Amino acid sequence: MTKGVVVLAQNNTTDNYVEQAALLAMSLRYYNNVPISLITDDKVPDEYVSLFDKIIPIPFGDSADTSEWKVENRWKIYHASPYDETIVMDTDMLVLQNIDTWWDVLSNYEVFYTSNVLTYKGKTANTSYYRKTFIDNNLPNLFCGLHYFKKCEFAQEFYAWLELVVNNWETFYEQQLLAASRPKHVSMDVCTAIVTKILDCESDITNKVAKFPSFTHMKPYCQGWHEVQTSWQSQIGVYISKDGNTKLGNYVQTGILHYTEKDFVEKSPALERYRNLTNV
Amino acid sequence: MSKGAFLIARNNGHIDYVKQAVFLAKRIKKYLNIPVSVATDSIGYLEDTFGTDDFDKVIWLDYTAESNKRYFFDGTLSKKSASFKNNNRASVYDLTPYDETLLMDTDYVISNDLLKSCFNSNSDFMIYKKSDDIAKVRNEREFDTISNTSVDFYWATVVYFKKTETNTIFFDLVKHIEEEWNHYRRVYQITSGLFRNDFAFSMAIHIMNGFQSGDFAQQLPGSMLYTTDKDVLWQMHDDEMMFLVQKKDYLGEYTALKTIGQTIHVMNKSSLNRIIDQEFAND
Repeated sequence: MTKGVVVLAQNNTTDNYVEQAALLAMSLRYYNNVPISLITDDKVPDEYVSLFDKIIPIPFGDSADTSEWKVENRWKIYHASPYDETIVMDTDMLVLQNIDTWWDVLSNYEVFYTSNVLTYKGKTANTSYYRKTFIDNNLPNLFCGLHYFKKCEFAQEFYAWLELVVNNWETFYEQQLLAASRPKHVSMDVCTAIVTKILDCESDITNKVAKFPSFTHMKPYCQGWHEVQTSWQSQIGVYISKDGNTKLGNYVQTGILHYTEKDFVEKSPALERYRNLTNV
Repeated sequence: MSKGAFLIARNNGHIDYVKQAVFLAKRIKKYLNIPVSVATDSIGYLEDTFGTDDFDKVIWLDYTAESNKRYFFDGTLSKKSASFKNNNRASVYDLTPYDETLLMDTDYVISNDLLKSCFNSNSDFMIYKKSDDIAKVRNEREFDTISNTSVDFYWATVVYFKKTETNTIFFDLVKHIEEEWNHYRRVYQITSGLFRNDFAFSMAIHIMNGFQSGDFAQQLPGSMLYTTDKDVLWQMHDDEMMFLVQKKDYLGEYTALKTIGQTIHVMNKSSLNRIIDQEFAND
């Protein structure tokens, strides 16, 4: 059984997601011995090519060519993954520890989505500020930022439904969501939750009490702060030592860090540090 | 293994902490039935005014004039500025004569035996993180963390510890944080320059946990109940206390609140001392 991480990156007019994917690949390589493949139609700079096991073109054409958010292709990851078992990550993540034992946990599932995310203090994050659609519509609180599948009949069915919902999201939103809390754009988290509700498989694809596999979600309103600014980087410092130890504010970080803010790569020393650590 | 409570009493010309220590020692004996030692810079005053019979040991502290000043409220409408002799609390680790020590502030009014269970615990270090304002009308979130983005808040008001190698490191660390307070308060996003033991203990616990959430500090039994110095302790009889608690949005108005069998951190030291005077007069 082959195992690997897969990320999908599509640059838009403002953000370099391929560079984020390269940084993620460096951090993964530093702590783990697991391949990572990149699905993209964008040019991958020569110095980053060797970071990836495979660079795979987006299959079935680009469904997000007119979209700024570029999420419409994400259901294709299942079909494009070269591995029997795949962990899918968002590009704006850093892997800060060895995750070998996570594979053992995940192998008990055919499909797994994280439903508990963490604050930078390592506590379960209260994400209700960002999750009104889920709360109002009683949707399973799933996060696509980190998920897992193995190639199997159930996963194939799940992603076939996901394709259907993503491609017809306005219709499904109208059917499944109250008008007052209906998003005005396609969201993978919402589409995944709708599929889970349709298939009635929440208990098969997530674990509400497990603290891992999970990730630290750096959306500012779920950090438990009394006073919140629009950017978490304006509230706490980012410190990355030359050997990769990472602190946000006063807290050492482990696990997977979902930094969420696009300017993190240019503002923090992460890229420089991991280039040195992985000789890229 | 010797066991006992330890108090620090350093008068500041406005608050008589020695009197509070004598009062608390009597209550500790009554409710917890353990010996009590006190460290004070006013031994002569203690001997002459109250005697030392309530104490197992009385330990000499050098007198120092502190420049650390803060306001002490006596209800919502009255306040006085006075020095705040809260330094060297970590020295209790070296001063205590006990293998197992329950360190307490002198304004912690013991009214039950809940803390006795510390001495049967497997934990080496216990402190309150969970607390409840008995008024229930004020914002308690200031006691969640030591500042908005900083580490969890722990109350240095009551601390149980055994003499262990790890706890030696902990108390040395608290001393170091106090010595380098201006550095640490900036690292931990504290805007005020006023040294606070709660903050120093909280920082040290965070460091002992490896700069993560961890289990170095175990929770003392129950929750730490407190009233701020905007409330007034009005009456006391044995384990019953009557407070006038600040009314929300009505400055200078209060609601009467009675507690029975509840140990409470009474931050209005002036009203506590008035009650102690009444209690001692009745004795």
